[in-house]
Amino acid sequence: MNILLEALVYGAIAALISGTVLPLLYRSKNTRKTSFGLSLLSSVLLLGFAGAILYTGKEPVFPAIRYLPGLDFTLAADRLAAGFVLLIAAVVPGVSIYSIEYVEHAKSEAGKNLQAALTNLFILAMLMVVLAGNMVIFLIFWEIMSISSLLLVLHDYSSEENKKAGFFYFIMTSLSTAFLFMGFISLFRLTGSAEFGPLEYPASILNLPFICLFIGFGIKAGIVPFHKWLPYAHPAAPSSISALMSGVMLKVAIYGFLRFLLSVYTLELWWGILILIGGSLSAVLGVIYALKESDIKRLLAYSSIENIGIIFLGIGLYVIFKVEGLETLAMLSLVGACFHAFNHALFKSLLFLCAGSVVHATGTRNIEAFGGLVKRMPRTAVFFMIGSVSIAALPPTNGFVSELMLFQAYFYSSALSDPLLKVLLIITLSVFALTSALAAALFVKLFGITFLALPRTKYAEDATEVPKFMLLGEAIPAILCILSGLFSAQILVMLGFDFEVPDMLILGLILIGACGLVWFAVRNSGPSGSPRISKETWGCGSLAQHPTMEYTSAGFSEPLVVIFKKVYRTEISSTRIYEDTKESIFKSGTARIHLMKFFEEILYTPIAGAVCLVSSNISKMQNGKLDTYVLYVFIAVLTLMIFTRFFA
Amino acid sequence: MNASFLLFTLLNTGFVLLISPLFMSLIKKVKAYTQGRKGPRLLQSYSDLRKLMQKEVVYSPNSSGIMRITPYLNLAVLLLATLFIPIVFIPEAPAGIGNIIVFLYLLAIERFFTALCGLDAGSTFGGMGSSRLMSLSAVIEPTMIIAFAALAYVLKTVNFHEMFAITAGSTIPESPTLALISISLFIIIIVETGRIPVDNPATHLELTMINEAMILEQSGKNLALIELAHAVKQTILMAVLINILAPWGLATELTFTGIVVSCLYFLVKASLLAGLIGLFESSIAKMRLFRLPGFYMMAFFFSALTILMEVFA
Repeated sequence: MNILLEALVYGAIAALISGTVLPLLYRSKNTRKTSFGLSLLSSVLLLGFAGAILYTGKEPVFPAIRYLPGLDFTLAADRLAAGFVLLIAAVVPGVSIYSIEYVEHAKSEAGKNLQAALTNLFILAMLMVVLAGNMVIFLIFWEIMSISSLLLVLHDYSSEENKKAGFFYFIMTSLSTAFLFMGFISLFRLTGSAEFGPLEYPASILNLPFICLFIGFGIKAGIVPFHKWLPYAHPAAPSSISALMSGVMLKVAIYGFLRFLLSVYTLELWWGILILIGGSLSAVLGVIYALKESDIKRLLAYSSIENIGIIFLGIGLYVIFKVEGLETLAMLSLVGACFHAFNHALFKSLLFLCAGSVVHATGTRNIEAFGGLVKRMPRTAVFFMIGSVSIAALPPTNGFVSELMLFQAYFYSSALSDPLLKVLLIITLSVFALTSALAAALFVKLFGITFLALPRTKYAEDATEVPKFMLLGEAIPAILCILSGLFSAQILVMLGFDFEVPDMLILGLILIGACGLVWFAVRNSGPSGSPRISKETWGCGSLAQHPTMEYTSAGFSEPLVVIFKKVYRTEISSTRIYEDTKESIFKSGTARIHLMKFFEEILYTPIAGAVCLVSSNISKMQNGKLDTYVLYVFIAVLTLMIFTRFFA
Repeated sequence: MNASFLLFTLLNTGFVLLISPLFMSLIKKVKAYTQGRKGPRLLQSYSDLRKLMQKEVVYSPNSSGIMRITPYLNLAVLLLATLFIPIVFIPEAPAGIGNIIVFLYLLAIERFFTALCGLDAGSTFGGMGSSRLMSLSAVIEPTMIIAFAALAYVLKTVNFHEMFAITAGSTIPESPTLALISISLFIIIIVETGRIPVDNPATHLELTMINEAMILEQSGKNLALIELAHAVKQTILMAVLINILAPWGLATELTFTGIVVSCLYFLVKASLLAGLIGLFESSIAKMRLFRLPGFYMMAFFFSALTILMEVFA
């Protein structure tokens, strides 16, 4: 068994490595195809690997390879890791098949090959992070993951916007690594080993590593207020990479965080509260910001922040229930959170791939320029619909099941003893409900404005359906979305989790049966024959319908923008000049609507300013003269001597 | 899937389908009386539906498949939702049928597709309706979840069937807190079925409308299906309130007399509730759109209060 597992995982790694190297050596369309074929192959192997571990519960540790003393190259996989390997294996096939044709739209031949190579490297790095047996390996591949994705974000480095996005992403991801380093080092000081666990220490000692890892993984996962890099980086990256980043990379951060949390023996209550509040805030703010957005990929990026928030919310519930000793509820929330991570990986990668097709077909990312695409890109529209329905959590799709599990955990929480904790749960529950309903509004808007009604611009009018490999790439996650939703109860039972989760398969069958019944009943009554197609949409007697009459994306979200105007922090300022002194005849004036970017203006800009101030002062010390530097060295040595004499 | 559940499916769904249009005209009748008019016949809704069923369907050339499948899907979803709310008797349901959250999200399916329908034909009114519907439903959602969470807190289950089994045993509301939840539930009915002060079901082409704006492009059979689905939704939401606040008469076992008594009891209680809704609608004016969140806050307050009472009691 173990040998088989080893063969599978090493085979997958070998496939990914050759997928990375091959396009760098030979520059041709066929090598690119082979490269994506190899990543497809690796995902098939990983599917077997993860499936076997999840099903049998065997937890293999692969033999360590020692290159340097103290640095073991160890791979290990338990059920948690296998779950996330499964997630990778579920997203990669769609992305790699999609990329075969998508990558051909890159400008230069070298760029195409580089993109294929980096995609493989990126997948490999994410896989290795999940399989990492100790913190050193984890960090090494974490950095490779960050750098390969950074290069992919910068694929079109000539554009000013992409440069800014890449820079932003670089800063944030470095910050994330810095915090992870701190967290891991403080853990290392405690345990004396680079292994992940188990951590049998009083939780109070673990407070520092917890905070560091929460921030470090939180930045990478994109929870508020560290979320700003997502809406920059996702639109800049190629769509297939956005799908991987949003679908898998954010989940790798979640995995790291869970790896830490699950190895801690005694959790602290305030950790749970912090995670829960952070998650709820991310969820609701993410979706509120998304509602205002009219760049399709940026909107999806904000929606990822929302879903990551929901996952963190589930993890927070897990910690709280665990501390309170409610094992069943803790497990329900944890599995709910993990299942939501898996589901989000599926539908978000699907949505990003479809968005990529739409952007490719129209040449713009602005939703306001779309419309009527359902007639021009019918297949993409169907896949997009499946993604929207799943992400809006409508039964019987997968997105619904994971949210249902979290809702159930909330609803049973009356077993908690602390009344104040219950109040906190009530507040976060209502926030969660609001999030979920806003997400439905968001995707009605996105689907409706993009695909329905008349095309608003020439770009949308001239759009045509994308080639078949791209469609196939979209079809795979779409089918997986449906299947993992319908068979959710069976899957959970198969994995050994016995929860009271409604059986979506039966509900789905009844729903289909009811649809058929209604159709049958209606068909046999009333006039027969095909329905009449009128010439116009009725517009109260207007002579012709024009696309400018349609509701726009901004118009659609207007009521919500007004209701949540406190959150958006819009500043409306106007000046008026009058003809007369009594201010009755209006002459001229200006009006300005300024949308405050809250976190940028309150949090990031001041910090950036402070950093600039400090560094400009430090740079004064650097005058380029040798004697000054000798003086510095002298002072440093002196200080060190005094320090070792008196303090150490 | 046992025989009693199969029988329940037929009886419960059939009963709801049969009586739903009645309450639509009943509310109109009550409203008409308060305004000093006579109003439509009690069976008017039935003949309206029959008339629409005889008419052909007209589609706009701009519209897509969404417009064609939504009427069928809506009614099917609501028929599925009727299985969650026992009215004739309480069966042994399989597969989590009766789960509160699934029920809420079934209603969300109907809302989602109706809103898409509004955008489909590209008319301004439809877009306006769906924008408003999705916005308002997002704001009411916390209230609905909290109200249902409060139910789950009080009755210690997340399944309607089990809840009703608990409440049906008693002659007065199981707990005084349930009376508080009922206020929220009543407001939820008003909001979900698009009644004054949220929406005005009696008007067309006014700037106030929400639901009617979205179905403006529907015609013939499709319109009939949508109207029927709307009526079914109203009936089952009313049934939730009735079974929580005044559950007596609901048969817990499968007997012939029990079913007949259940149906009669429900008919009487639901008629009273429909009358109440009609009176409520007549006594209040349509609110401005942006004042509605305040109205919803009231419902939120009552359900949050319930939970707090349960928590600190």
